[in-house]
Amino acid sequence: MPRENYQERLDELREDVVAMGETVCDRLDDAVEAAVTGDEELARSVIETDHEVNETYLALEDECTELLALQQPVAGDLRLVAASFKIITDLERVADLATNVAAYGGPEGGVHDAVDVRDLGVGAREMVADAVDAYAARDPDACREIAARDDEFDERCRRASEAVVRELLEADRARNAARDGPAPTDGEALETSLDEVSQALLAVRDLERIADHAVNVAARTLYMIENDDELIY
Amino acid sequence: MSNTETKTEPSDSLITTDVETESNDRTAPSHRTAVAARDLNVYYGDEQAIDDVSIEIPEKRVTALIGPSGCGKSTFLRCINRMNDMIEVCRVEGDVEFGGKNVYDADVDPVALRRKIGMVFQKPNPFPKSIRDNVAYGLKIQGFDGDVDARVEESLKSAALWDEVKDQLDSSGLDLSGGQQQRLCIARAIAPDPEVILMDEPTSALDPVAASKIEDLIDDLAEEYTVIIVTHNMQQAARISDRTAVFLTGGRLVEYDDTTKIFEDPEEQRVEDYITGKFG
Repeated sequence: MPRENYQERLDELREDVVAMGETVCDRLDDAVEAAVTGDEELARSVIETDHEVNETYLALEDECTELLALQQPVAGDLRLVAASFKIITDLERVADLATNVAAYGGPEGGVHDAVDVRDLGVGAREMVADAVDAYAARDPDACREIAARDDEFDERCRRASEAVVRELLEADRARNAARDGPAPTDGEALETSLDEVSQALLAVRDLERIADHAVNVAARTLYMIENDDELIY
Repeated sequence: MSNTETKTEPSDSLITTDVETESNDRTAPSHRTAVAARDLNVYYGDEQAIDDVSIEIPEKRVTALIGPSGCGKSTFLRCINRMNDMIEVCRVEGDVEFGGKNVYDADVDPVALRRKIGMVFQKPNPFPKSIRDNVAYGLKIQGFDGDVDARVEESLKSAALWDEVKDQLDSSGLDLSGGQQQRLCIARAIAPDPEVILMDEPTSALDPVAASKIEDLIDDLAEEYTVIIVTHNMQQAARISDRTAVFLTGGRLVEYDDTTKIFEDPEEQRVEDYITGKFG
């Protein structure tokens, strides 16, 4: 086949993007675990190894730029490079958000119980993993399915946020009662509760954003496969 | 066709007898068909070079013909102004329509046809004459009795060469650089006021800077003329053309579409394989 080196570079780009996606999913697994269990060491590991994902991102960005500049890809090859260029940005952002999620665990294991971080985390992680699989397998149906799943995930996040807000109001009422009532209440415990609630809201927001990035990956993958931009918005 | 014009020029008719042709207002921003091939087959002896090609090429647009060596794209280009007539073993079947007329009709005058459909070749081929005489050559052949110097200046300006040569019009065209010589040839081609300019790999003998000037020029020319260009440089086709026709082995036109479509999402897998370099 002519341009063998070029074809090998395209194959390697595809494999490297998939590998980056798998790494990001592993980090997300660890981040959710750290958030749920409060495992500080695991959280630190997620945060401290984020630079590896950043370096992979920069290396792949360079490779895409070089392929565009030197090989002038067209048609399906062009869509592969253009889509990959965008997808690695989404994956890098997922890794950044994973560091946030890991940090929400806190020393006391502290996202409020009103949010099932593991459940939402697993859901977001599955969407990212499925999007990366769709990219690897060039599966347009999977891309559309991931995009369709996002509405359901958003709804789960909305319900989780509502539950947290209810808890926030409860905590506020409890604090008011403590201030006004005859019996002294443990103020430190209330502050902890408020921290947990805010951490939970942030965690929900970040997990929802992770799912949005998964949809972006699926949208760019569909463009790559079929030149179809219906999911890009 | 501009039979309605009343310039001090000989008749623009392609044919030796009077034939009604539609008027063509060049200022109109239309993209009507300038050249159309219908069921075109071309043979060199027993060998078929063009296989049943039908295509409509829009006016005042740049149409690129691409494909591997020997696919018939240059043969097709040369059919349009009957340059293949000069090849004894060449036989053409089917129609090439220009101005509502099959250019292969018996009453079409090939010389008149080539005034309306000019050609620029791969290697710059200025005559061993002055710059002025190179551009004026076609005008003199057609008996142009207007202001030759004005037409020379106009043509050199259209070819983006005037500023570089206006003070040396009596110097030999052969003293110019390769890129300037090619622009001189373009000026020569447009001096007789053609409607279509055929270009057969016009930049392949030029360095990148000279080639980029020709590419810019082609873009400008398309405001006034229909440009049909054969190129082996796919990036050039992508950069400069509005429509792209892909010929593949056997003289078959495999796909013809907007250039953006061809280079982003071609319909034919064979075309994708060719333009991405998977075969060639």
